Amino acid sequence: MSQRDAVRLAHQATFGPTETLVADIRSQGLENWLADQMQRQDSRYRSGGGADVHQLTEATTYCAQAAHAHPDCWRNNFSTQPLAWDFYRNATTQADQLRQRVAFALGQVLVVSNVQVEGTYGFRVYHNMLLDLALGNYRDLLRGVIRSPLMGDYLNHVNNNPSAPNENFARELLELFSLGTCQLQPDGERVGTNCKPLYDNATVREYALALTGWTYPSGGKSAWGCWPEGANCRFHDSPMVALPALHASGARRLLSGVNLAAGHDAPTALEAVLDSVMRHPNLGPFLAQRLIRALVRSNPSPTYVARVSAAFDAGRHCGLQRCFGAAQRGDLAATVAAVLMDEEARSGTGDRRGGKLREPVLLFTGLLRAVGGHTDGDALGWWWGGELRQVVFRAPSVFNFYRPSHPVPGTTLVGPEFGLHGANAALRRLNFMSFLLDLQGAAPDAGVPQAIGTQLDLSTWAARADDAAALVDQFSLLVLGQPLPDPGRSAVVQAATWWDASRSPDWREQRARTTAYLVMASPQYQVQP
Amino acid sequence: MNPKTHAHRLTRRALLRRAGLLTAALGTGAAGLAVAPRAHAGDYKALVCIFLYGGNDGANSLVPHGIDAHARYAALRGALAVPRASLVPLEGLDHGLHPQLQPLQALWQAGQLAPVFNVGPLVQPLERTQYASDPTNTDWVPEGLFSHPDQRVLWESGGRHPRQRSGWGGRAAQTLGGSAPVVLGDNQQFATAEQQAALTLPGPGELLGGYGLQVEDAAWAPLAARQQALLAMHQQAQDNDLAEHYAQQQINAFSVAARLASVVKALPGEATAFALIDRVFAPLCVSGRFANPLAAQLYQVAKLVHGRATMGSPRQLFLVQMEGFDTHAEQVLRDAPTQGVHAQLLAWVAEAQASFHQAMQLLGLADAVTSFTQSEFGRTLLPNASLGTDHGWGSHHWVVGAAVQGGRAYGQAPDMNPGGPQDAGAHAGDSQGRWIPSVSVEQYAATLLGWLGLDDQQVAQALPEAGQFSPQRLGFLRPAA
Repeated sequence: MSQRDAVRLAHQATFGPTETLVADIRSQGLENWLADQMQRQDSRYRSGGGADVHQLTEATTYCAQAAHAHPDCWRNNFSTQPLAWDFYRNATTQADQLRQRVAFALGQVLVVSNVQVEGTYGFRVYHNMLLDLALGNYRDLLRGVIRSPLMGDYLNHVNNNPSAPNENFARELLELFSLGTCQLQPDGERVGTNCKPLYDNATVREYALALTGWTYPSGGKSAWGCWPEGANCRFHDSPMVALPALHASGARRLLSGVNLAAGHDAPTALEAVLDSVMRHPNLGPFLAQRLIRALVRSNPSPTYVARVSAAFDAGRHCGLQRCFGAAQRGDLAATVAAVLMDEEARSGTGDRRGGKLREPVLLFTGLLRAVGGHTDGDALGWWWGGELRQVVFRAPSVFNFYRPSHPVPGTTLVGPEFGLHGANAALRRLNFMSFLLDLQGAAPDAGVPQAIGTQLDLSTWAARADDAAALVDQFSLLVLGQPLPDPGRSAVVQAATWWDASRSPDWREQRARTTAYLVMASPQYQVQP
Repeated sequence: MNPKTHAHRLTRRALLRRAGLLTAALGTGAAGLAVAPRAHAGDYKALVCIFLYGGNDGANSLVPHGIDAHARYAALRGALAVPRASLVPLEGLDHGLHPQLQPLQALWQAGQLAPVFNVGPLVQPLERTQYASDPTNTDWVPEGLFSHPDQRVLWESGGRHPRQRSGWGGRAAQTLGGSAPVVLGDNQQFATAEQQAALTLPGPGELLGGYGLQVEDAAWAPLAARQQALLAMHQQAQDNDLAEHYAQQQINAFSVAARLASVVKALPGEATAFALIDRVFAPLCVSGRFANPLAAQLYQVAKLVHGRATMGSPRQLFLVQMEGFDTHAEQVLRDAPTQGVHAQLLAWVAEAQASFHQAMQLLGLADAVTSFTQSEFGRTLLPNASLGTDHGWGSHHWVVGAAVQGGRAYGQAPDMNPGGPQDAGAHAGDSQGRWIPSVSVEQYAATLLGWLGLDDQQVAQALPEAGQFSPQRLGFLRPAA
């Protein structure tokens, strides 16, 4: 595998190239590297408080109790900031890069957000499930999502009422988590010129009713009592459990010709809902487009989408040396392999419709991984995530941080991540790099467990800085896979060259600093080719 | 600056403080904007779109006030019904305001508030029988009904399908040949044109600028070289269209920051140029923070309207926005239907909109600046069992400004009865009180754009489907003198 292709794969399948990673990809080759990544499982969410936030027997709030009185009580027990620590620590250091990256992509499809619901431990359970099932089968993942009490709170289907059901989850299950709104061809293009709607609101209600009958798992407690009568108290530690009294057991007509007879129970209805979604011809192209956009490019050709959705349907994808997937429809290992092994992911030079704006999270990790450094994640959550409007686990709504079809003015293309971009974000991207490169990043904060701060270590690159042009080219080779094009390259070399022994004793470090800032500020880096 | 002081360790606060100093040192300091407010608006006009993302419950914003009508409403609304006694009366109108919209009452009395009933996306005027005969027939029903992202676009853009790539605000600005609309907040499409991105600005107190990228930084040779290299990289041709767009946006950002950083950054009380605006907004800002997110955005708009001389365009559009209106659950408190999430949201909207209008009055621009609400849909009149409501279709909206022909409402309040002429329930068991709109987004928008100064041909460019509806304009704004 060429340096350029290996670097490109690192951008698509990991949180950013390091010299070790690129060397590993090149020596193993595409298929072996993918196979190795798929069996890895190193990352885990562990930080933050426990389930006792939902086990209160006194009529007071958790953080008001003397035992929990601490200025960081809410952060540690209710917010997702502790999981942001884990996320960035894992993304910058753990070896299961592909699993983490796919889980991150799926988490932006199957959105739950700490903006609307609270309880750190429930998010920990949810995101560990995404890590576990990221390369498993989508049916299992959807089942986990439907039965997640955190999702039940987020989209209101926990303890849903069989006579006047809340439609929130039912609609988004169909629209955002699986099928979209219009009938699709296998290549992701609409059937017909106008939309052929997949369902009307009456069908959404059928799904809302079919998914009634689920309550929290047992274990929660509240001094105020729990509602409705017979239901369990709020608890996010394990999947929701069936509560027959809350299930609307009437006959239902679902999609894909799946019907439910009157008198069925909630678990039967859940499997029927999964049948109807998994059999639907929209699911493959819908997810293929989402995953390609998350990993490879914003504007895939229809034939690329068709190849990936075929792998999703077959549950299997074979290259020259290996096959991926267990041959069950919905296999995500096969689907991800098809996304990354496709000729459009692997070649693709000189394609004006190529590219994908690097989302802020990947800029954060990309800089730390390429230059070398360390983070405990704290500065990258609320603070820099907030500056660039991508605080992990805190999307503004179930529609994620940006819309998959966000149009880019002046082009005929979509660019989802451009939904977060503008004059303000443009400058803040540069300021983030200045924060780490010019302003020394963030020192450890004593209030963060195992704090190490967020800082770069420039020594690797400073050691190669005697020849400024060679430094710029070597760094470009790592993050772009090739030298910067001129005239930009000469201007970068000139800026790095200004620093020499006569200017400052740390001139080598300054050269490294200038080089990393400018090469990573380049449009070639910011828009992943 | 020498390398030794440059490379010292800085905390976050020090970084922000330092960035602030850099910004203040810009050529266009706040003092440079000390334009005396004009007694008359002259030729200036601006439209301010207040987008309530999530789908505002219009049925609880403007509520039937007559005894019988309120009783019918209350019977259908159940636990969510706003009690009649709590409604804020609008003299001469058969509807009252949610108690938290009370700040709008004075505007009604002054003839500067126009409620518009049951507005929403339509392909053409639509009767229930036609709708019910085939609710997904896109010849007469817009695509993507009841879907958040789709109905957002139908409102942001007008038209019959959600695949449009621009918004009617952005197209209007382009048609007028002026600068791109200014956006506060996340969503941009209303303000985007096919060829022109919107200008998204940060909130008050925030930095709009790049560290080491200011004019005065170039006095130090290594930063000058860095700036030169940045420019060179962004000015050269790119390999793909997305990178090309990115590079152009970056260059644009450098120039926007130089022009607007000081205006954007100013908090109430910080710049004498904005003393009149600050008189209204200062009480809403405590220790540099606005509790009301919409007020923070409208404060930015007020400053930019005040500084219009520097914006280079006599016609401007602004988009401000708030999330959180998707009130599927716990929209109200149990047994306290005037309290809860929705009440808080409405309180913010009314406080922000009324304050903004007051600031415009102080600037002598109240008849030149009109604000109006948009939201992707209303909500089901029948509540669900989680003290919330699901996605509807048509909903009530309102327009504020001294150019408003107030004292009456526009459009037609819907028949609330299930199975009534505006009921979009197509089947038995599907009558939750989703209203077929009686006023189209096009008519609402064309009225606003006509007032802004677009002629019929320009309106047709901004709103290609406007010709489907008659009358094209609703008359809630006074024509130009």
